[in-house]
Amino acid sequence: MMARSFDTLTAAEIAAGIAAGDFSAAEVCAAALDAIAAREPEVQAFLQVTPELAQDAAARIDAARAAGEALPPLAGVPVAIKDNMNLTGTRTTCASRMLETYESPYTATCVARMLAAGCIPVGKANMDEFAFGSSTDSSAYHPTNNPWDTTRVPGGSSGGSAAAVAAGMVPLSLGSDTGGSIRQPAALCGIVGMKPTYGAVSRYGVVAFGSSLDQVGPFGRTVEDVALAMDALVAGGRDAYDSTSQEVAPAFAAAAAAAGEGLAGVRIGMVPAFMEAEGLTPEVRRGVERAAQTLADAGAEIVEVDLPHVDAAIAAYYVIGPAEAFSNLARFDGIRYGYQEPGCTNLATQSALSRAHGFGDEAKRRQMLGAYLLSSGVYDTYYYAAQKARTLITADYNAAFAQVDAILMPATPHAAFRHGEISDPTQMYLSDMYTISLNIAGNGGIVVPVGLGEDTGLPMAAQLVAPAFADERLVTYAAAIERGLANGNNGASVLGVAPAFAGKGGELR
Amino acid sequence: MKELNEVLQDWEAVIGLEIHTELTALDTKMFCNCKLTHDDEPNTHVCPVCLGLPGALPVPNKRAIESIVKAGLATNCEIQKHSMFYRKHYFYPDMAKNFQTTQGPVAFCMHGHLDLEVTGRGAEERPACAFGEAEAASLASASAGAVGLSADLSRMAGEKAEGASDEGALAGLSSYDTAALATAKRHEDGSYTVPIRILRIHMEEDAAKMVHVGGEEGRIGGAAESLIDYNRCGTPLIELVTEPDLRTPEEARLFMEKLRRIFVTLGISDCSMEKGSMRCDGNVSLRRRGDTTLGTKTELKNLNSFKALHDGLAYEICRQAEVLEEGGEIYQETRHWEPSRKRTVVMRTKETADDYRFFPDPDLAPFDLTDEFIAHCAAEIPELPDAKRDRYQRDFGIKRADAEQIAGDPAGADFFEEAAAGLAGKAAQTVANLIVNELTGYVNAAGADVTLATCGITPAQVASLARLLAEDAISSNQGHEVFTLMAQTGDDPAKIVDERGMRQVSDTGALQEIVDAVLARCGDQAQQYRDGNQKVLGFLVGQCMKESRGKGNPKLFNELLRASLS
Repeated sequence: MMARSFDTLTAAEIAAGIAAGDFSAAEVCAAALDAIAAREPEVQAFLQVTPELAQDAAARIDAARAAGEALPPLAGVPVAIKDNMNLTGTRTTCASRMLETYESPYTATCVARMLAAGCIPVGKANMDEFAFGSSTDSSAYHPTNNPWDTTRVPGGSSGGSAAAVAAGMVPLSLGSDTGGSIRQPAALCGIVGMKPTYGAVSRYGVVAFGSSLDQVGPFGRTVEDVALAMDALVAGGRDAYDSTSQEVAPAFAAAAAAAGEGLAGVRIGMVPAFMEAEGLTPEVRRGVERAAQTLADAGAEIVEVDLPHVDAAIAAYYVIGPAEAFSNLARFDGIRYGYQEPGCTNLATQSALSRAHGFGDEAKRRQMLGAYLLSSGVYDTYYYAAQKARTLITADYNAAFAQVDAILMPATPHAAFRHGEISDPTQMYLSDMYTISLNIAGNGGIVVPVGLGEDTGLPMAAQLVAPAFADERLVTYAAAIERGLANGNNGASVLGVAPAFAGKGGELR
Repeated sequence: MKELNEVLQDWEAVIGLEIHTELTALDTKMFCNCKLTHDDEPNTHVCPVCLGLPGALPVPNKRAIESIVKAGLATNCEIQKHSMFYRKHYFYPDMAKNFQTTQGPVAFCMHGHLDLEVTGRGAEERPACAFGEAEAASLASASAGAVGLSADLSRMAGEKAEGASDEGALAGLSSYDTAALATAKRHEDGSYTVPIRILRIHMEEDAAKMVHVGGEEGRIGGAAESLIDYNRCGTPLIELVTEPDLRTPEEARLFMEKLRRIFVTLGISDCSMEKGSMRCDGNVSLRRRGDTTLGTKTELKNLNSFKALHDGLAYEICRQAEVLEEGGEIYQETRHWEPSRKRTVVMRTKETADDYRFFPDPDLAPFDLTDEFIAHCAAEIPELPDAKRDRYQRDFGIKRADAEQIAGDPAGADFFEEAAAGLAGKAAQTVANLIVNELTGYVNAAGADVTLATCGITPAQVASLARLLAEDAISSNQGHEVFTLMAQTGDDPAKIVDERGMRQVSDTGALQEIVDAVLARCGDQAQQYRDGNQKVLGFLVGQCMKESRGKGNPKLFNELLRASLS
């Protein structure tokens, strides 16, 4: 067999190849570690690479195959884990000095399920500190570079997870999405990223940012890979350790395959106001229109829908998110674990200085904002109003889904921006204008690449949104877009590994 | 300082209680599967959830919800079908998350009441002026002044969280029905009954236990280091808050005792004040009789026995009266009761209201209790102490005070019902006397691990002994002796009495012969009696008992002597 780079293979192809004996899990593991070593200096997607854990997991897969055991569906597929997800044997730093040496004594349910599906954990991916951000620049350790242009950000907060996939270091990774933290970096890195409906994937063991907003989801270079990862995440039913989790059928791979049957009878909504929004660049708009045309070519009917209250989503988000973050991050006081200011003589000083020096600027900004928003006399004005907005936005989506099966919209207003280009936090917050309303309403969304922008030459993406717990539709429709573009229609093609990194190291022998 | 009775003539004490009860009967903690324990090695029953480790999530304990619903039903509360958990933030190491998960404006149980019967000397604490119209005015003004109880609760009461569906549930909080306040009813014997309203019972998690090494009585002042035991962290706790309806330390003590009997009967907690599984804080303020505005209150801690609750409140009332009468000011502060020095001392002063930043816990979905769930809880509630007391008084004819005491302890009540089965009147009362006077003391003296069930004495033995006493087959002094013997040997009392020839002679013919013989021998004493010296009769009865070698019925001797000497 001819040598080739491991990054030409999808997760599905790797698992099939190992099952067929074309190559071993150990060989895939070695190729992944080699690709990471070759590409990481320029991308900096990881906070920790875990060769021992990866090699042990690969050895178990190879031993199981040698013993004639049936292999799990993602056997031998390298996966990167966002660093806010606990995995025993690794540090879980949340890209913060506060947790620089913190090792969790337990593994998050989502990670455990990926490992149970046969994935081999190659490392912990960089992120914005405690997931506060849209660029990964707020990591306390180092920024991550967009593999399509290393002077640009990969998006965030799950920027490391997205960049690792886009640079071909892994075929799959896990991210978390509180306001767009999976979908925005997927869009900026030209890969597929999915935020399932709130409750579809367990949050147990994922360090909380906004408990009512956070949701775990996968990144991949193809819709099929993302669907396989979704099946792994929901297999095993609802998690008894997360009382907000729900039972979801592992029918995503089947739903991806169903795209082949066409979309006759499917109604896809589009929101005119979204396509005319200030700040939306023409190339992104044209990308979304390509996606719409591709869906129409597959037989779907495109209709206009309205989401009248969705403008309030960003304001509501910047009340609910910081309020919950203030509460969730209160536990980091340096007493039991994490950064502890040395030389303090009393508890109050130790807590105050540990927090002052353990957290970065954005983490402190969000917590102070949350502490203010929840305080007596202010709470009614903001928190209660935000909850009302939440109810209205959810009702908007319900009304729209009475007319359509899914809604097509942009994922981000523009392509990847340069490091440091957006310095005003408020401007940064606005780059999440298309993603945030889903975290507010709770339903799921998927981002799928739609070629390169005519103006920037950077990846463009479209976002599909479905009703709550109809996430399998997202996979079907996204797969239809992917197929349509692969056929060369509409002047765009499927994006693979970012060209600068394709084939760099990672030769599969 | 003046005495309590004197103070309460001039001053009205307005008292409210906050009572925390650990649900010790459960197997596991409120939000995780860690075992509930009191005495194990520190930090051996902990997990990511109760340690608040990054990424951990709470999962509510369904049996804890059942327990609080039962507690609410047994205290006449309205069970709220829709309620939710809130987060209460404060930075202190006893709560690993730096917030406590508790309930918001709507608790599982709202607006209940318990009726107190205040009798005997305790009833004298409430002066005559505190009944009737004056009391009605007092209740109305105290309730109006205490609406919401705390800034946080009143703030939350105005809010509709998580959408509009809470409006109905919150409506009950918007105002107090002061018109429907029930006042104390005084009876001819000086006793009275008074209804004490319950504002709410909510569910929360307990904090870890902290020990401050080197501090006085384990307190933080002067301590060199502090140790934390997270075994207790996350223990399911129900907090009952009364309305400010209590007016005397005795009423506070009786309320607490009554609540304890109910919770023990429900089987939701061991309610040990000694071990801290039932804890009480008292809020007390004074105002001149007839005033309608509330005085500044202090909060008392460390009231960890019924006696401490009574004495701590009594001291604090007298202290406040002294301060006020000398023209001083009461500060809103938390005070610690020191039983050894019989005084309260300042723990901390609250200059500003704490801002706990309450908001609905996003990790826990709102509860919607079904009618079936509530009915299932109701069906599991056993006969409650008041109903049992009334039944014992009605069916067995025993004294109300004894019925109350026996009915308050489930094990004692079961024992009584078995021992008194088929008995009534004198025999049943004798069974009650034996349980209240002999058995309780015997079990208590036998050591901490001995219970009614393991003490070795059976209901059949007590029933047999009661019959012997009721039939005057033995004297009450002999009864005590037989009780001790039956406890030692496990024998049936009738067998003990027969073997030892203890059975009393109640044949008047035989006894009259002895009386005649004694009177013949003791002519001087007989004459003294006839001359009016009643005391000498005891000597003559003693002589008769001696003559009968202790077997004569002393009551009959007494009667026969009186008849012979008249």
